[in-house]
Amino acid sequence: MREAATPWERLRQVLVTVGPGGLWLVLFVLIPTLVMLVASLMSRGSLGQLVPPLGLHNYVRFFSDPLFIEIIGRSLWIGFWSTVLIMLLGYPLAFYIAQSRYKEVLLLLVVIPFFTNFLIRVYAWIVVFQKEGLLNGLITAFGLPPAELLPSTFAVYVATVYTYLPFFVLPLYAAVERIDWSQLEAAYDLGARPIRAFWEAIFPQTVPGLFAGFLLVFIPAVGTFVIADLLGGGKVTLVGNLIQLQFGSAQNWAFGSAVSMVLMAMVLLGLWLYARTQGEKGLDKLV
Amino acid sequence: MNRVWVVALLGLLIAGCGQQKQELRLLNWSDYMPKEVLEEFEKREGIKVVEDTYDSPEAMLSKLQAGGDAEYDVLITADYTVGSLARAGSLQELDKSKIPNLQNLDPQFANPAFDPGARYSVVYQWGTTGLAYREDLVSGPVESWAVIFDPAKQVGSFLLLDEMREMMGAALKYQGESVNTTDPEKLAKVQELLLEAKRRSQGFAGGTSIRDRLIAGDIAVGPAYSGDILAAQAENPQLKYVIPVEGATLWTDNLVVLKKSPNHELAYKFINFLLEPEIAAQISNSIGYATPVAAAMDQIEEKDNPIIYPSEEIRARLELLADLGDQADAFNKVWAEVKSR
Amino acid sequence: MKRWLAVHAWLVFAFLYLPIAVIVALSFNQSRFGVRFTGFTFDWYIRLFNNERILEYLTNTLVVAVVSTTVSTILGTLLAVGLVRYRFRWQNALRYLLYVPVVVPDVVMGISLLLLFDVVRDAIGWPRLSLFTIILAHISFQIAYVTLVVRARLMLLDPTLEEAAKDLGATPWLTFREVTLPLIMPGVISGALLAFSLSLDDFVVTFFTAGPGSTTLPLYIYSSVKLGISPEIHALSTLMVGITILVLLLGALFWKRRV
Repeated sequence: MREAATPWERLRQVLVTVGPGGLWLVLFVLIPTLVMLVASLMSRGSLGQLVPPLGLHNYVRFFSDPLFIEIIGRSLWIGFWSTVLIMLLGYPLAFYIAQSRYKEVLLLLVVIPFFTNFLIRVYAWIVVFQKEGLLNGLITAFGLPPAELLPSTFAVYVATVYTYLPFFVLPLYAAVERIDWSQLEAAYDLGARPIRAFWEAIFPQTVPGLFAGFLLVFIPAVGTFVIADLLGGGKVTLVGNLIQLQFGSAQNWAFGSAVSMVLMAMVLLGLWLYARTQGEKGLDKLV
Repeated sequence: MNRVWVVALLGLLIAGCGQQKQELRLLNWSDYMPKEVLEEFEKREGIKVVEDTYDSPEAMLSKLQAGGDAEYDVLITADYTVGSLARAGSLQELDKSKIPNLQNLDPQFANPAFDPGARYSVVYQWGTTGLAYREDLVSGPVESWAVIFDPAKQVGSFLLLDEMREMMGAALKYQGESVNTTDPEKLAKVQELLLEAKRRSQGFAGGTSIRDRLIAGDIAVGPAYSGDILAAQAENPQLKYVIPVEGATLWTDNLVVLKKSPNHELAYKFINFLLEPEIAAQISNSIGYATPVAAAMDQIEEKDNPIIYPSEEIRARLELLADLGDQADAFNKVWAEVKSR
Repeated sequence: MKRWLAVHAWLVFAFLYLPIAVIVALSFNQSRFGVRFTGFTFDWYIRLFNNERILEYLTNTLVVAVVSTTVSTILGTLLAVGLVRYRFRWQNALRYLLYVPVVVPDVVMGISLLLLFDVVRDAIGWPRLSLFTIILAHISFQIAYVTLVVRARLMLLDPTLEEAAKDLGATPWLTFREVTLPLIMPGVISGALLAFSLSLDDFVVTFFTAGPGSTTLPLYIYSSVKLGISPEIHALSTLMVGITILVLLLGALFWKRRV
């Protein structure tokens, strides 16, 4: 066996790898977040500026109004179902890409549509969904009555799934590409049926990618609002709208910061609880 | 590899620090000032104009408030934002002796409600927010805001405009009030009217989105800006625009000088330049909105078009948005409720 | 089984390219209002090539995307390696901090970074808002995405491989370059692609951290709402997608032939 690295050498290795990125996150993520935390404890002045006194009143306002709880609930609901749909579409796709001879090409083909601007893509969906749009053209061609697709929850789901699909496929691909397929053969040799063999030999290997992909889709999907605004007609309010409104026409930065802090606390708390409960299985490292 | 990005970063740092040539930095809506006009000013003064654009007045206000107001010299901004910018101390009080062309301005704009005495702002363009509709798709006459606010008088599917002051102003006008009323009872009624209309509507959308979906035949009616509709009529002559009988808002976009700008002299020269009759006419002929420069009127191509330049009788029904001061919160609250219920 | 996988994959690709097809169609549409096809024209392409401003915005966008993606991919990859391979103080705090840029709303991130830049500038006269500050801001959210993607890959790797290299006397740097990096490359590429498309598309954070003369394409497109999006943008999008796919296919063809 080789000698263990000296503490000094180990420290140097940690500093070289974690140092630059960690420092960056502290400077440009942690410090601004702390600033916003302080802002969330302040009040709105008569001109919309932040003024003392410090206090928890913004949080009290948030948790005492059932409307805001409902908005959070609705955002989680839409985010959750979009994520489920994305996983159903993206999971097999990642396998197909990882097994293909042209995997690099296919991977890029997944990303290229997203090189065009987000707003332009959402407007393209409007053309698909509008009254005399593409989809209704197809429906009426089959002799069916045209559907009212804009604004609709259906349209919001389709565009949300569309927007976040690559966020799921990319991390999952990185994991699937690494799969050790010999384990599948071993499972077959032990007499396992295909589904069971997949579940026991292949699925566990995709868990890190699945977990990362789930979070990279679910978290932004909960916070999204532009899609709901444009395809849902601004009738459905999500937590992203609520925050945007506070920094926009309501000019109430303090309350907006408080809502953001609640959102952030929810996500971090969820991750922490997950890590705590999965600790024995060693799955806490995924967080 | 490492070396490459260090060099790239250093290069950018140096590029970021080394701006030498004199510049006029303008913050504007996009496509809201013809390139030729800017080039003419560059040529005359031997300077460079840097134009940046923004999409929503609220986001722009937040940016200026968070420290962005040291970055620009001249800003083009909506009427109802001028007051709050002035109170936040971001605006320079104008030295009118340095803008002799102010005499070219229509006297109607010399003392606007949103900036009494025009101490901080000069009107750049103006227009109205009325009702646009498809003549072939509506089931009855479109003359009143009732087509939106009265379920019994609805004439077809409609969208609401996603602009707080405009939409609340319309609901106030429908009640026969001023667009600047802050009376809590009237505002409570506004909230009720808008929430009810929201349920029957196709939702909220921006001005150009409403225009596009009128052309597509998705909706029959919607509040819209005068200039947008004029341009679109060429494509579909069935598209009409009307100022409702109850009245409507007359909005303006305005030139202001930022206090922290290092170059007030150049900013004044620029504003004075924009008020020259030939230049003002060139701008309005190019972007399709109305000019406040009375001296330019005989060079305006659309001067007889009632959509852009309404008759005196209709103009009497229009009202300017005022600065609400510390009453703005009452509006914000109603709008937040309407948007989130 | 394999056939179903292929059918599914190509249906998903069709879904991904449906809006792109709409954009291509609109770029040849005579109507400026882009909702109904009124006739075929090349006008928007001609206008695009005469519009120096759009081309300038495109350059700004690409400079920001390339520089920020490069920096964030390097920092994020190193961070992922450090987080998975070493134990150190504050490690858990850092792991949770990674999720903050993913969860924090754009508008909050934009305003808080602007406040930070403003305070620093008041103190030391630097940095002015410019492409440079946009790049700083983009890196700040990209790092998190890159790290999370690369980490998902790293966790699948057997650390004994790296230890074997070290036992053979390789320095940590050599081990990283010759053993770890090739093994995590698909993760690094995935992370970089994600970071690149995030930067290319970012509007809100860019809006708050941009200074005079540093307009990017998303800023221009969003601010076009006053007059409606010009089909020139559709023409530009068509060209961007078309050229990328063309380069990709040529590259693939060339590369497969050499192998």
